[in-house]
Amino acid sequence: MTDWLLWLEQSALPTWVRESGSVWGYPTVLTLHTLGLGVLVGASAVVDLRVFGFARQFPVASLPSLTPAIFAGLAVNTLTGLLLFAADASTKAAQPVFYLKLGCIALALVATVRLLRLVRQAPDDGALGRAGARRWAGASLGLWAAAITAGRLMAYL
Amino acid sequence: MMELALWLRETPVSQAIRALPWLWPLAESVHFVGLALVIGVAGLFDLRLMGVLRHVPVAAVKALMPWAIVGFGLNLVTGTIFLVGTPDQYVTNIAWWAKVGCLCLAGLNAFVFETRLGERALAVPAGGDTPGAVKVVGAVSLLSWLGVLYWGRMLPFIGHAF
Repeated sequence: MTDWLLWLEQSALPTWVRESGSVWGYPTVLTLHTLGLGVLVGASAVVDLRVFGFARQFPVASLPSLTPAIFAGLAVNTLTGLLLFAADASTKAAQPVFYLKLGCIALALVATVRLLRLVRQAPDDGALGRAGARRWAGASLGLWAAAITAGRLMAYL
Repeated sequence: MMELALWLRETPVSQAIRALPWLWPLAESVHFVGLALVIGVAGLFDLRLMGVLRHVPVAAVKALMPWAIVGFGLNLVTGTIFLVGTPDQYVTNIAWWAKVGCLCLAGLNAFVFETRLGERALAVPAGGDTPGAVKVVGAVSLLSWLGVLYWGRMLPFIGHAF
């Protein structure tokens, strides 16, 4: 286990990200990870809040337009997350809160994807209510907030 | 400025912020949740002002904006906790001043929108394109919020804040 983690963090790109001191290394990767978080969680939150019944002027049928933003944010954060992990693999793999973060992300994605499917199938408030969409919206919102919190706590625990 | 920061640092409220070990990580977590609300909601409104997502009326996207204000409120409170807790590491930090500059630009831009362009923009129906001036205000807003995020993230790297 530790062998391949050490191999990973000693390989060229992760070493450069960690040690180059270049603004294009660690600072840029971390900034992109923060921007991806904003887009992914922010766009998901718009869907969640609309399903809860806020901003009723916003047509439910238009919510699926946010799907590309959600997946673009996810793609950026998967890529930058892999780089940030690789740069400190042995440290991060030893942090329980890192696995808590991954678990929250996995469950949040299940809730968000499920909610997006319900939104596409039942494009008005009444049908969403009958389909139990609010439970998935609550799960999505809560789990993304938990993932952010676990991610921040990686710097402290 | 540094004298003011050092005076603030010695006040009981500043000492209390540093004495609570759980407060800083908690405030940071809330700061990042607030960030997501601002980027997601205000960013969406800015894009609509720029002419993206035209099938939604501008007023319908505006209806979400109270949630961007909730996010901003969370970040104003938690940001004030950071500033009062360790003022010395921010007032000497060029990245922090750049962040404050971007915040002022975003605020001024929002003021111009609300006082001069709001009514025209909110009248744009589903499928309608926005006037050029509204597009510019949307783009300035989006860029200034991205600037706030960028300089905030650079606080530890350019100015060595934590």
